[in-house]
Amino acid sequence: MLLNEMIIDENNMGFIPSLGTSYQLNESAKKIIKLIKEGKSKEEIVKILSQESGKNWRDVYIDVEDFFQKLKVYGLIK
Amino acid sequence: MRVAVSGLNNTDNPAPGIPVAKSLMDKNNLIGLSYDPNEPGIYHGLFEKVYLMPYPSLGYEEFKKRITDIKEKSNIEVAIPTLDAELPLYIKYQKEIKEFGIKTYLPSFECFEMRDKSKLPKFSKKLGVKHPKTIEVVSLDDLIKATKEIGFPVMVKGNYYKAYKAYNLDEAIEYYYKISNEWGFPLLVQEVISGIEINFVGIGDGESLVAGVGMKKLTTTDLGKVWSAVSIKNEQLFSVSKKFVEMIGWRGAFEFEAMSDGKDIYLIEINPRFPAWVYFSTMLGVNLPQILLDLIEGKKVEKRFDYPSEKMYVRYVEETMVDFNKFSTLISKKEI
Repeated sequence: MLLNEMIIDENNMGFIPSLGTSYQLNESAKKIIKLIKEGKSKEEIVKILSQESGKNWRDVYIDVEDFFQKLKVYGLIK
Repeated sequence: MRVAVSGLNNTDNPAPGIPVAKSLMDKNNLIGLSYDPNEPGIYHGLFEKVYLMPYPSLGYEEFKKRITDIKEKSNIEVAIPTLDAELPLYIKYQKEIKEFGIKTYLPSFECFEMRDKSKLPKFSKKLGVKHPKTIEVVSLDDLIKATKEIGFPVMVKGNYYKAYKAYNLDEAIEYYYKISNEWGFPLLVQEVISGIEINFVGIGDGESLVAGVGMKKLTTTDLGKVWSAVSIKNEQLFSVSKKFVEMIGWRGAFEFEAMSDGKDIYLIEINPRFPAWVYFSTMLGVNLPQILLDLIEGKKVEKRFDYPSEKMYVRYVEETMVDFNKFSTLISKKEI
């Protein structure tokens, strides 16, 4: 999984050292990527984010699912 | 050392000679070998002397006359050819060139032939790497059949130079004539692989990979030449480059061009020389042209694959002014 090698700099720019591709991340993306790298499942990530933000689980799930789809499109996760 | 370097064109379609010369200028005396007085690299002040060379198409006897003349005048010890068009001549006659007292560091003719674009489908199988479906064409009829078999879009490529992406038969025919009129036949019609283009420049010593650097192009010119890039470390690209050298016993510089879809590597082509971006490797701390000279001198060379990733390579335009007399002298006397 390419995401595991992503390096994130102080400007929230994620860089993949093997392919030289880079991605501008916002705080939420950075947080989700950090949790994925820690081995958390999608459901666990949704739970953590909804608890932290106090937002409805379903709304958070939709956003996280959307983000996972983007990661797949970019080939960063399988 | 007194080193002759060819490929002094330094426009937005640069040859590798100037980057090679820049890498060697601190420790060596450089002689430029040019095919055209308009090549900007002649006027950079990098060379003690610049000589005009006869075009490789004139054959070995013309080349021999000129190179022995240059040897006599400038006592060159080493020649580093960097242009695709002249490499077959240097490679084929490397023993003779050595007898003139000029050392080179080149692959055998068999190795050189093995990585020819038209032979890559078979060669990539041996290397255990994927290769886009490629069909050799020598007629319009072949072209039509090939595009039917592969399906659009396709890459229409010359065997040595030029490659265009065609989205329909009209475009494919246009590129077929454009390339064949300039470079002749055969042409290649190739499947388009979507992914990220990644490249590796390295040196083999005839047994193993000695040093190398990987990069990904960020922006290119209209001709697809790199204008900015970023250094990368891709294990698959490194492994297949290493295997390439070990499997056929490659000796000399090479550039391995590949596409990655994030999972697999597709071999696009292997160039039998330094690429024009080789000065990036020097700036990253792996001075490949100097390593090549050290190998020629028989020095013990430590393997060098350690360089930083995430460094950005940026080309830019520079201007200079010289006496017009230099240009006219080069035309009339064939040397300055």
